[in-house]
Amino acid sequence: MNLDFSPEDEVFRAEARDWLHDNVPREARPPSDQGMRAFDLAWQKLQFEGGWAGVSWPQEYGGRGLGLTRQLIWYEEYAKAGAPNAELLFVGCNHAAPTLMTWGTDAQKQYHLPRILKGEVAWCQGFSEPNNGSDLGGLRCRAVVEGDHLVVNGSKIWTSSAHLADWQELLVRTDTDVPKHKGISWVICDMNTPGIELRPILIMTAPGHHHFNQVFYNDVRIPLSNVVGPLNEGWKVAMSTLGFERGTASMSEQIRYNVVVEKLVDLARERFGAAALEHDEIGARLAQLRAESSAVRAMTYSIASRAAGGQPPGSEASLMRAFFSQLQQRIRRIALDVIGADSLELPDTDDPWIRPYLRSYSNTIAAGTSEIQRNIIGERVLGLPR
Amino acid sequence: MHLLPTDEQVQIVDTVTSFLSDMAPVERLRPDKYGQIGNPDSNLWPQLGELGFLGLGLAEDDGGVGLGAVEEALVYRQYGRNLISPEIFGITLGAHMAADAHLNTASEIMSGKIRVGLANPRGVVSSDNGLSGSFHLIEANRADLVVVLAPEGPYLLPASAFEDIEDGCGMDSHTLLRRAQLRNAQPMSSRAISNTHKPRALLLLAAYASGLSKASLDMAVDYAKMREQFGKPIGAFQAVKHKCADMAIAAEVAACQVDFASVVVAENRPDAYYHATAAKLVAVEAALKNGATNIQVHGAIGFTAEADAHVYLKRAHTIDILGGDLRTTRASMIGQAAPS
Repeated sequence: MNLDFSPEDEVFRAEARDWLHDNVPREARPPSDQGMRAFDLAWQKLQFEGGWAGVSWPQEYGGRGLGLTRQLIWYEEYAKAGAPNAELLFVGCNHAAPTLMTWGTDAQKQYHLPRILKGEVAWCQGFSEPNNGSDLGGLRCRAVVEGDHLVVNGSKIWTSSAHLADWQELLVRTDTDVPKHKGISWVICDMNTPGIELRPILIMTAPGHHHFNQVFYNDVRIPLSNVVGPLNEGWKVAMSTLGFERGTASMSEQIRYNVVVEKLVDLARERFGAAALEHDEIGARLAQLRAESSAVRAMTYSIASRAAGGQPPGSEASLMRAFFSQLQQRIRRIALDVIGADSLELPDTDDPWIRPYLRSYSNTIAAGTSEIQRNIIGERVLGLPR
Repeated sequence: MHLLPTDEQVQIVDTVTSFLSDMAPVERLRPDKYGQIGNPDSNLWPQLGELGFLGLGLAEDDGGVGLGAVEEALVYRQYGRNLISPEIFGITLGAHMAADAHLNTASEIMSGKIRVGLANPRGVVSSDNGLSGSFHLIEANRADLVVVLAPEGPYLLPASAFEDIEDGCGMDSHTLLRRAQLRNAQPMSSRAISNTHKPRALLLLAAYASGLSKASLDMAVDYAKMREQFGKPIGAFQAVKHKCADMAIAAEVAACQVDFASVVVAENRPDAYYHATAAKLVAVEAALKNGATNIQVHGAIGFTAEADAHVYLKRAHTIDILGGDLRTTRASMIGQAAPS
């Protein structure tokens, strides 16, 4: 075991730090809508032009092919620099791109990967349905083959930023006569296709915050050439998509939370006094959160070490995900106790604590609820019976 | 950066694991065999000494094996899993301090010939003119030397320095606990040595606790697969399955932070104390939580003396108190500067 970075790694780190220092946007990130889209895409484009988008992406797709250690260093410096969390691009960069790299045809890869990397397009997810959330395998949004097209009818829900996205990773049922996991396909859906309708769903973070959508598909025609992986093998493809999410895709967030906790410690010292904090209940809770977010970094390093050795993400990734989602909530929750009475105010702009606190309730729901995560851990990691 | 054990480190773990499963199975602690009669492991020390485990992290020039805190922590995790007597902390820390103070006893400690107990403060410790204060002596009935886990770090003292010794009964039923006093007792080791080994003391306690948390998890999972109610194994019910999942999470969190801290301590980096403190916080929390949950998963049998569940819980409480309880450790954690 070691925590040594090579001299070349350290040079890379210094370059990353310098570039971020000069280029991180100084204006606040708009919290929603077209302003957010323009902000996130522009920031991605800037990173691409600086050579920092896709540090670990293969060179043939426009990345730098530098491996996971450098990617981790980039995330660490990114977090320290206080660079924005460009959430709108998460699905494209961390779901669609690695899925296409693994399963896509040459044409799919050549068309989509550079556009994702350069910040030209945003992607959204089309997995959950009104009647199939945790029981994803039972999804029923139907697609029938007609000539060289799929014709899609049905509905998806909880689709973050569908109203801002150009493309969607869409799971559809292409065979109803086989066991449920065997009749699913993973397709690339152009969000401008006729027949797609959106119903906005406001979320609990702030008045009028349009984040989710229900998406309706009425005879939506998608070329068969947009199917990723074999027809009816979409479950396997989707599981690898979620595997990326549970593996290395979340590293950036995991690293960022160490910085969030330190901001809270500073805020608490300012408010209560450093000496008094040592004998305060909030101080004790913050101490535990410091220890736990430090452990998250250790877990990230251990997952990265395994991945760098070519091993697929294993049980530790599920354990990490379940732990981290609840830790984020505890961290966001204590911010309100540190702020005190003023936590009742919702700032107009520049809101580092209140909206993120309310938003944190989604951490234990999105991408598999905590309960589903615990089933996975119980059954696949510990071998307990179903 | 590589936070996984090397082949050589895996081999060390395998060696100690197989030795302990032969020589120190947890069944040795059943009350019909030992109960409260005391340290069941003193006969292991010479053998562990011969295998090199008692001088694992000491330099070869000092008569040790020449490895470091990473290997020590990996081995201590196994000590925790097998509930090895806490005297082991006295031996490892005592050997380091004796070597640093250039005492000949270092080699005798490493060979398991000299016994080293532990002393933990019951209140304020004064170190103005020698050490003074009230202590619990742990596993020190036959000790020649005692390692005092003072707030500023461990000190090495002759066992004869302790006065007013009162016998008592320990809550952790397989350790020997007595009360004693120090009055201006002169340590054999300096304050500088204490400061050096303070992170190591926390790290080894954390590693042991992480082993406890894993052992409690394994015991609960084994039982949940085997015990049937309502016609199926209780582990099929989410109420039990999710408890087991939480135990697995806690054990993994503890193990990873201990690994990370062990490298930082081994390399004596400036943030060694910070990460060792973090390791003790998450590992003790995991050991206490998993110890308690293991009892619950077992139901009534978990509450009996004949099941081993209670022994892990009680040992977790011992490790919590040693070197500073959760409250003190959290106060120390929040008082430190963040590592750069």
